[in-house]
Amino acid sequence: MKTFLVIWRRELAACFLSPVAYVTMVSFVSVSAFTFLAQVTRNAGTSDPLSVLLFASIIVWLTILVSVITMRLFAEEKSSGTLEALMTAPVTDAEVVLGKYAGALTFVTIVVAPAVACIFILASLSPGIVSVDAGAVTGGCIIIFLVSALSVAVGLLVSLMTRNQIVAAIACFVAIWCVLLFGWLVSSVPGVPPKLAAHLSAMSQIEDFARGSVDTRPVVLYVSCTGFVLFAAVRLLESRRWK
Amino acid sequence: MRILACYLPPSGGKATVAGYDVFRDSLEVRRRVGYLPENVPLYREMRVYEYLNYRGKLKGLSGRELRSRVGQVLESAGLVDVSRRIIGKLSKGYRQRVGLADSLVHDPELLILDEPTIGLDPNQIRHIRNLIKELSERHTVLLSSHILHEVEMVCERVLIINEGRVVASGKTEDLTGLMKEHAVVVLEVRGSRSQITDKLKDFDGVEGVECESAGEWHRFTCECGRGEDVQERLFALVSAEKWPVRELRTEHKSLEDVFVAVTSNGGEEDSE
Repeated sequence: MKTFLVIWRRELAACFLSPVAYVTMVSFVSVSAFTFLAQVTRNAGTSDPLSVLLFASIIVWLTILVSVITMRLFAEEKSSGTLEALMTAPVTDAEVVLGKYAGALTFVTIVVAPAVACIFILASLSPGIVSVDAGAVTGGCIIIFLVSALSVAVGLLVSLMTRNQIVAAIACFVAIWCVLLFGWLVSSVPGVPPKLAAHLSAMSQIEDFARGSVDTRPVVLYVSCTGFVLFAAVRLLESRRWK
Repeated sequence: MRILACYLPPSGGKATVAGYDVFRDSLEVRRRVGYLPENVPLYREMRVYEYLNYRGKLKGLSGRELRSRVGQVLESAGLVDVSRRIIGKLSKGYRQRVGLADSLVHDPELLILDEPTIGLDPNQIRHIRNLIKELSERHTVLLSSHILHEVEMVCERVLIINEGRVVASGKTEDLTGLMKEHAVVVLEVRGSRSQITDKLKDFDGVEGVECESAGEWHRFTCECGRGEDVQERLFALVSAEKWPVRELRTEHKSLEDVFVAVTSNGGEEDSE
């Protein structure tokens, strides 16, 4: 447990010790805010809730953010050889994976949080908006966190498979979109019941949550998928020592 | 070395450190081993003391013990002046010392150093060697090196490994002593080349003579038989013949010669 905290702190510190953190923070907040603003102007007069527009804009950029953050987790350590130093210290494989995962997820959360504030800024600046539905924003935050948790785990797994950071980033980006579009892809396969496809569709779940309707079924789905991917990652790190 | 440091599994056989199997009790082994990989991997964006603090915590130190250990290794590796510098901006020699400090921070029983002096300047090499000698008083040090001169200076026991097999092992003196049985005496004298060659060839105890000439001076390299010290008798011959002498010495075999001898023999045996 102590080792886990040490690795977590070091991962988080590594983000802030390099310019990567600041560049990604500024870029992420500005692009997602502009996307949100563009969506609001375009959809003015329609019945779409503001929170849905906000979280839809965030999710698009979140996939890029997560790819960029997670690409270095293991790929960088492999190519610079520091993984050898890390793995020859008395640490278990699970501690390394979970520590790095927690560090990356914390950083993603720190970056995404200011983007959520956009909706309140918009509300306070435009007299036409009377109030922001706090419940809908909370629901949106929950689903964004769940999606981040799963995609950071996927990114970590991909980063473990290669020593090239660019490869890790691209593969991670594709993998995350495959996860997000999985329900939609499945729905086009003949013979799949439409209800099943609807349950797997991340996009419609995001919309529901951002409207304020929090369903436990997607929560269980995301948490268990994240757990499975992390388990796979621990096994993959271990496999280096399999005979 | 990577197997002993628990980074890779043994492809065959078994390895134990302090009674613990590197595969089954790898955590126990890693607690007792300080390992410095050949390329000295470090987090370049961290400061020296930050890095050592992090590594110390990772290896299970905390609180006062951590602070005192980090202070000690900073001092013994000569890093006190640079402890607040960023690792990426340090010279190769300093980075090597940071790596060494890292491998020492948890006071391991066994220290595994993979080519610790590669890429350093002579002063730094001397410093690191002295440090290793000091460390060897309290720790077991396993050093791998291609610089045999260094091995001869630093190590007490030597293992020579060729293509994955141990081809020679023993105390450093014993190994170099092996070669002494085949002594070589170098004699440089002035005079008639053919005459001297004949005399030397007939000389009791000399098995082969080679000659290099530079003007009137001839340098004879005499291969001598096992366990014989012919130097004194050769001197008697030289003075009896009244040859002007410039050099008369027994050539001492170094570890390098041992290495060449055992690895090339091994190679021939393999091919047979």
